[in-house]
Amino acid sequence: MDALAASLSKSAVSHDESLEREFEQRLADCPKLAYRVALGVLHNAAEAEDVAQEAMLRAYRSFNRLRERERFRAWLVRLTFRLALDRVRSKGRRERHERAAMEERCETSIEHLVTSREFERQVARALDELPEKLRIVMVLAAIEGYNTREVANLAGLPEGTVKSRLFLARKKLAESLQCLVKNIPVG
Amino acid sequence: MTDAAIGELRAGREPELLSHAMECEPCREALSHAMRVRELVERGVESLVEGEPSPQFVAHLRRHIAQGPRPVEFYWARWALVAPGALALALLLILVIGRMPRYNGPSPITSRLKPSPSSPGVAAAPDATRLNARASVSGRASESLPHAHKATAGLPHIIVPEGQLIAAARLSEAINSGRVDGTQLVVTQRDADKPLEVNPIEITPLDPPPTPDDEEKPAASTEF
Repeated sequence: MDALAASLSKSAVSHDESLEREFEQRLADCPKLAYRVALGVLHNAAEAEDVAQEAMLRAYRSFNRLRERERFRAWLVRLTFRLALDRVRSKGRRERHERAAMEERCETSIEHLVTSREFERQVARALDELPEKLRIVMVLAAIEGYNTREVANLAGLPEGTVKSRLFLARKKLAESLQCLVKNIPVG
Repeated sequence: MTDAAIGELRAGREPELLSHAMECEPCREALSHAMRVRELVERGVESLVEGEPSPQFVAHLRRHIAQGPRPVEFYWARWALVAPGALALALLLILVIGRMPRYNGPSPITSRLKPSPSSPGVAAAPDATRLNARASVSGRASESLPHAHKATAGLPHIIVPEGQLIAAARLSEAINSGRVDGTQLVVTQRDADKPLEVNPIEITPLDPPPTPDDEEKPAASTEF
């Protein structure tokens, strides 16, 4: 009986060690991916790092429950995206006030729109207005120039769906940024 | 033009669009605008996701991992969930089996009623020979009771008077199943050898007959 318990605990320890090693390998590239996904939603470096930390921590704690370890990156992307969206929702009224102020500036002071910082804000606002399913493919496509197949793998969607969603997302973004483009000098 | 603006122009269409734009001023301007939109959208979103986590990111993560609870191995977690249920089920089974009535061979009454060559069936039915109406419990009783044969299989034949076969079979079944304590029956049988004592029965007198005055009054119980 003692021998059985000892062998079981030994196998459990070795299993834990192998899990630790496997997770350690993921630590090489996955934090960057999680951080960028969070940044694409939150547009704030500190908050994005917080969310990426949380996502990685949750991923570690649930790592042994993941059946397909090769799908870890896709799993992490979706987890991070969800956590980032939750963070955005919890921001509440303060965020809405800031947006309203930004929209007002868009209509009144055109010269501000040409500056790079303002432009970034406008793109962020336009991106935030996209539906979630379009936003995630747009963010993933922008991260290190992932192609449609890679985005499909990460988002867990068929390639055709990714293509159509990218099309729609770009179209909506282009519509949102029309006023901005008109005021940018050609060349 | 919209497809060109979002970078989804179909293969082979781009030269066609460009050659047309060279000749058509409005289309050239529209295409130029579309290209700027496309570039801005791409650059804008890329700029939003540009960046690296801080150099301390992994160190912080390791610290959080070290501080927090270790992940529970799913194999053990599954057993931890299943084990209490299995234990509860085993206990329930033990309780149910412990409460079930047991039959450990023939009951005292049936062992006492074993037929002997000198007085067959006397113990069960002393007046059976006098009535000259004998039958076998395991024979005719099993015809009227579907499970009587099963209950009396392997037991000695008991001769009882006609008309009491079913009762005898039921009694036998009750003894075998443990619902009736055989020892008490033996005691009762011993008491049966004593002469009967006749106790006077006290009879309560009936109500007196109703008088004419009572008949005039309507009975309360008949009123609805």
